[in-house]
Amino acid sequence: MTGTGRLEIVERLTNECIDLCRTVLRSRKYLDPLLEPAFREARVKRAVDEQKTAIAEMESAVSRILTAAEDIAELDLAAADAAERIAASYDKIVEACCFQDITGQRLSGVVETLGRVGEALDSVAEGRPLAEIAEEKESLLNGPALPGRGLEQDLVDRLLADGNG
Amino acid sequence: MAVDMKMPILIVDDYKTMLRIVRNLLTKLGFSDIDEATDGTSALEKLHARRYGLVISDWNMQPMTGYELLQKVRADDALKAMPFVMVTAESKVENVIAARQAGVNNYIIKPFSAEVLKAKLKTVLGDF
Repeated sequence: MTGTGRLEIVERLTNECIDLCRTVLRSRKYLDPLLEPAFREARVKRAVDEQKTAIAEMESAVSRILTAAEDIAELDLAAADAAERIAASYDKIVEACCFQDITGQRLSGVVETLGRVGEALDSVAEGRPLAEIAEEKESLLNGPALPGRGLEQDLVDRLLADGNG
Repeated sequence: MAVDMKMPILIVDDYKTMLRIVRNLLTKLGFSDIDEATDGTSALEKLHARRYGLVISDWNMQPMTGYELLQKVRADDALKAMPFVMVTAESKVENVIAARQAGVNNYIIKPFSAEVLKAKLKTVLGDF
């Protein structure tokens, strides 16, 4: 191979390396909105926590429903308090079904975050920039609190009483 | 004065499961005339079409939230005296204070028990 031929190969490889670097940098730029701390720490971390909490809540609800059903199954129907105990188990089953609303709200947030990550991957694949992530739409819509971070009912009662007093 | 157990009650929630839960619990408490809406806008239409004795509403709904519904109810001369109970997973101090300032009669955090619902309704309506 001549010196000129070697130079052409080196030049072609150099250009390919430069193109590759540009592609990597462009892709990195396309992903910038996802790399913002507000997204990674607030949305992604929260989505993971919401998912874990939803799984725990579903397990707890199913356990409470099964326990109430087992209580009914084991009941002596001839006992004087049978009707009262069935009514109590009914309440427990109905109350436990509240989990569907709470976990539904949690999982909606997870789906939204996953959708955003999916959009980012599409933008890289299609070579177009990702739109800025919108600010939170309304500060008073927070959804269910994570365990230990929301108000308990007695504190809500006190806040209401303070306002009325 | 005794509570009229036949008074119409409107429950508002975008989760059909929650509507069924609240309906079941109210029925068990003895209330017999229960109507439903799945967002604030349709709730407001129903409130203008019929005289209800109580509204039990979720907060987080679209297109009109329960909070906006509460504000509209309190701003409407024909509806402003209507007892209004918020039943919601929104459990931050600012939510409770905003609802209180808007004129909510009581505020129940989801998930709730049948006992809590009964106790709060007694606070709003009187003993039954």
